Amino acid sequence: MGGTSSKLPKDLLSEYQELTFLTKQEILMAHKIFSELQDRENGLYSSRVSMEKILTLPELKSNPFRKRICHVFSTSDMKDGSLSFEDFLDLLSAFSDSATLEIKSHYAFRIFDFDDDGTLDARDLEKLVNSLTGETDDTRLTGEEMRQLISNILEESDIDKDGTVNLSEFQHVISRSPDFVSSFKIVL
Amino acid sequence: ELFQNIQVQKEIIANIRTKPWPIRRKLKVLKQAREIVLKYEGRLTRTRGYQAAGADLLKKISRVLYNIVVLFIPWEMRIKKIESHFGSGVASYFIFLRWLFGINIVLTIMTGAFIVLPELLAGAPFGTTRSKTIPKDHLASAQDLDTIWSLGARLSSLIFTGYLQYSVLFYGYYGNVRKIGSAGYRLPLAYFMVGMAVFAYSFITLLRKMAKNSRMSLAGASDENYTFCWRVFCAWDYLIGNPEAAESKGAAIVNSIRVSISCIQQTQINLSLAVLISLRILANILVLLSLTGSIYIIYFVVDRSQKLEQEKPELTLWEKNEVSVVVSLITMIAPSAFELVAQLEMYHPRTSLRFQLARVLVLYLGNLYSLIIALLDKVNSMSSAVSRNLSDSTSYLATISQSTEDNLSTIIPDITERQNSTLTRTLLEMQSLLNHTVLYEYNTRSQQDPCWETYVGQEMLKLSIIDMIFTVASILLIDFIRGLVVRYLSDCCCWDLESKFPEYGEFKIAENVLHLIYNQGMIWMGAFFSPCLPAFNVLKLVGLMYLRSWAVLTCNVPHQQVFRASRSNNFYLTMLLFMLFLCMLPTIFAIVRYRPSQYCGPFSGQEKIYDIISETIANDFPLWFSKVMSYVTSPVVVLPALLLLFMLIYYLQSIARSLKVTNSQLRLQLQNVSYSKLNIIMMYFTRLQAPEGSDKKPEQESDITSMESSARSASPPRRNGSITNFESPVRHGNSIRTITQSVSRPDIPRAAGATQSPTHTYPCHMLHSLISRHSGYLGSTSGSCRSKSYHNMAYKPCTRYAENIHSDPLFRKTLRPMHTEPAVITAQSYVGHRAHSTRYVIVNEHEARKKLMRSNTRLPRHYRLADEPTEIVELYPRNVKCYIPRPPHRSHQPHLSEEEEEEDPKSSTRRGSFRQSKRPRPLSDRHQTTQFYIGDTINSQLSMEQGLYGDEEEGDQEEDWVNDPQTNIRGPESAHRYGEPYVKPKTKHKVEPSLTESDSASLASSSDQQNSSTDQYIQVIHNKKKYLKSNAKLTKTKSKSSVKLNVSGTNDLVCSNV
Repeated sequence: MGGTSSKLPKDLLSEYQELTFLTKQEILMAHKIFSELQDRENGLYSSRVSMEKILTLPELKSNPFRKRICHVFSTSDMKDGSLSFEDFLDLLSAFSDSATLEIKSHYAFRIFDFDDDGTLDARDLEKLVNSLTGETDDTRLTGEEMRQLISNILEESDIDKDGTVNLSEFQHVISRSPDFVSSFKIVL
Repeated sequence: ELFQNIQVQKEIIANIRTKPWPIRRKLKVLKQAREIVLKYEGRLTRTRGYQAAGADLLKKISRVLYNIVVLFIPWEMRIKKIESHFGSGVASYFIFLRWLFGINIVLTIMTGAFIVLPELLAGAPFGTTRSKTIPKDHLASAQDLDTIWSLGARLSSLIFTGYLQYSVLFYGYYGNVRKIGSAGYRLPLAYFMVGMAVFAYSFITLLRKMAKNSRMSLAGASDENYTFCWRVFCAWDYLIGNPEAAESKGAAIVNSIRVSISCIQQTQINLSLAVLISLRILANILVLLSLTGSIYIIYFVVDRSQKLEQEKPELTLWEKNEVSVVVSLITMIAPSAFELVAQLEMYHPRTSLRFQLARVLVLYLGNLYSLIIALLDKVNSMSSAVSRNLSDSTSYLATISQSTEDNLSTIIPDITERQNSTLTRTLLEMQSLLNHTVLYEYNTRSQQDPCWETYVGQEMLKLSIIDMIFTVASILLIDFIRGLVVRYLSDCCCWDLESKFPEYGEFKIAENVLHLIYNQGMIWMGAFFSPCLPAFNVLKLVGLMYLRSWAVLTCNVPHQQVFRASRSNNFYLTMLLFMLFLCMLPTIFAIVRYRPSQYCGPFSGQEKIYDIISETIANDFPLWFSKVMSYVTSPVVVLPALLLLFMLIYYLQSIARSLKVTNSQLRLQLQNVSYSKLNIIMMYFTRLQAPEGSDKKPEQESDITSMESSARSASPPRRNGSITNFESPVRHGNSIRTITQSVSRPDIPRAAGATQSPTHTYPCHMLHSLISRHSGYLGSTSGSCRSKSYHNMAYKPCTRYAENIHSDPLFRKTLRPMHTEPAVITAQSYVGHRAHSTRYVIVNEHEARKKLMRSNTRLPRHYRLADEPTEIVELYPRNVKCYIPRPPHRSHQPHLSEEEEEEDPKSSTRRGSFRQSKRPRPLSDRHQTTQFYIGDTINSQLSMEQGLYGDEEEGDQEEDWVNDPQTNIRGPESAHRYGEPYVKPKTKHKVEPSLTESDSASLASSSDQQNSSTDQYIQVIHNKKKYLKSNAKLTKTKSKSSVKLNVSGTNDLVCSNV
């Protein structure tokens, strides 16, 4: 998939179409963008693009969860958040228009699950809120506000009252939200 | 089974997209599934193979088509670009615009194809009839360069006197010949039908869209409110790619969070209530004043223009376009004024936005209505002159046939008489119609056909055009110039232009959408009178699309309080529907109530416009048809039909209400269940700790030993026991290979953490063997098995696992005081797995709802089914015993599962605690028994088909059920350590009774039993996790080698099974 083979094999392309929610044009587009990112990696040929490169994409640049997104979709053994082309397609597929709510909420949950422990606990929520509000002092919530907010969130979503939000509870909440599907999207 | 297998595989293929796995895994799964399908499908029948090929081809074609269709969606890239800059809120405006564009295209095609084209092609050519010729004295001015040139500038003069008035643009041009052309096209009929069809089509598309939207967002149906969760989880708009937009979005999020917190804290009373209320009253008064003012101005302007028209023969440009200009000005300025006023009120931003929208909508509607009424009134004001002028215009009237004159004369006295009494609007319009014709006769004297329909159409078109001009101007002036000034002058100004006073223009989504709606309302209002209005609107929308998108991208910033996108979609549509209805009213009213113009238009000479229908029926249909129609339209039929409709509406509404009640009840039950679950668990613990003697125990023990002895002969030496166990099933295959592979890759690091206790490996092997054997047995499950486990382990971290590890040493240490130990373990498992039980509940709830919508949950279901037998098989020997002592309980309380559950633990506790004093073995025992009971009850429940209710109860059961795997695992493990005999019975069960048991189980479960299978599913996840780790740690190489040896196993087994 280097700069030279800028065309995807046909059968692979159809496989990708089968496996993702993307159309042919979108996959080709993604491939173009991805190989551009690759090209910038001087010298060393690698099928992966480092997280820093990915984050230069304008679509991700201003996203507060950009690093989490990379980590979640990365299949790298190094846990460095680098993406292969297939990971990249996964990302786009999950964020595409036609992806189902289930997929989207699943990945959203993983993105929000900062410590990767399978549940959203108070610390995850705090991190989540902080990345939403930004780290500057004037936007950041005070401790009291944060406590209140988190307890309210748990109050609403934590059906089994174990102090954390798990995937199913999360999906339950998300599925009721009218905006989620339309806003959990990234288009190239 | 082969068939089932293939079905399962096919479902995998079909649903692979919806799995949240990395692509590589999907690819592998897909390949495998395809291989299996390919391999076996041909074996079943040849035709099936062809079918598959055909389906493949179809799929490919549909994909290609889809790709092509995507290419042709207009402005897709443009919208996406905007979306990625400004988020979905702004994009929703453009999507809405595009949707309106689509509707208008269809309307244009309808009118164009059925009205305009036939008239142009087959109608009487221009100049042949009176309605199609320009009057002599106007001809000069019509051909005047000035008039023709003035398409944009002097539109009114053009429209009034130029060619345009006598063109297909307006109602008046169409001839009233019943059949035109050689084919006998019934133009008047078509005109009427299309006019109605325009409304019908708009209604239908609108309603369908709304229904689709509301179906998509469940929020419409339920009044659940997760304010905080949504505000945090769904806050970010991932589409935003523009740093500025991101910044404002971030600020908006912070704002909304803060506001919601402060709402909770109830600390926002910064103004005294009296002041606030008086301010709000003041604001409302202001708004009302401006509304009435605008209405008055419109009236006044219309009145004035009419007077001017009377006095001056030649009007200036301003005088001619005064009305539409004023209306457009008002629509442009008033919203901003309202916004200013709204700042007085100090409402919550959301509320104020709603107020604002409501006010603007009222304003627009008021404008449209007052314009129409004023137009009619303008004619009405001259009614006094009518009688006088009637004689004046006799020169013209002489040409009118006698009958029509009679008509007129009979109507006029009638009207004047009624005028004295009430001045209802209907009367007004009735009058106006009449007066209008007369007025025109008076006004233009020599002009042949005063045509009120044309007149209304002209006004609408004029308004639409002026509105467009104003929109363009406002975009250019207000947004663009302002943007330029702010950007380039901010350096040389003493304050920061970008953040202080002028700022950049905000893109006010809601107002803009309302404007679109208003615009569309005009079209609907005028479409009947001016068939080309939709076509014009198409052009207008195209222009607006480009201009707006350009303006947004260059010089706008998104609105601070972003109007939420998807929820507002339906909001927009509701407004549009409202508008459509209100705009339809005048048109329909005119059609029903007014007499069409006498000398122009397709319906000239008729009493009522809709007479065309009855006339056609009477003349052109067979006699019986008109008879039938007269019956159908008689009150005898209509009244009952109406009644029936009302009843139907009432019935549907009551059903909806009852459904709502059911919904809330179910939700309540759900909550209750999740609480009662907690209670049950607590009870379970307390019972556990109180050891009880039981009579059943001895016989069980003996049974166990007998089993052991029987098993011993067959079983290999102790340490290797499990391993061989593990290996032997491996020949069944497929599944094992895949599992081991998947395990070895991502989970090594995690598994490494879990390697502290070597004992874990054994149970894992056991489980693994179970699974693999089982999958081999069912053949089909291998793929899904693997994928499931893989998914779970890849994602689920091993924190819980760590807990188990901790518990294990404990377990080992405290051999003797066993009574307390199980409690600890179960407690842990409880903590760990509670989440899953709830998850189960929710999943089921979803399933219940979504069952119709999607079938992709079926895959796990199948997979789960497959696993159920294993469990039961494993339990089997013991079950018999447990079952026998207490059949009555189960038989009559199939759905009182909670009690049963309580009982189960009780009995098992009895047994377990008793045995615990001697050996660790009982632990596994106990759980097996519970397992059995639960599985059984589930089946019975399902057989009773309890539906939702059953689902929830199973949520409870699952609690215990879920606990099992861990303890299960631990059971054999301890057995390994404390004596081989205990391993053997287990392994033996697995081998021997498996066939029959699993058969029956699969039979039982294959029908519909998603519920029980769900449990299995969850359990299997746990098992797998263990397995993974063990595998990673201990026998990575071994499993692999065994895989190599036995890859072909599955096929053999499957075949034999068949």
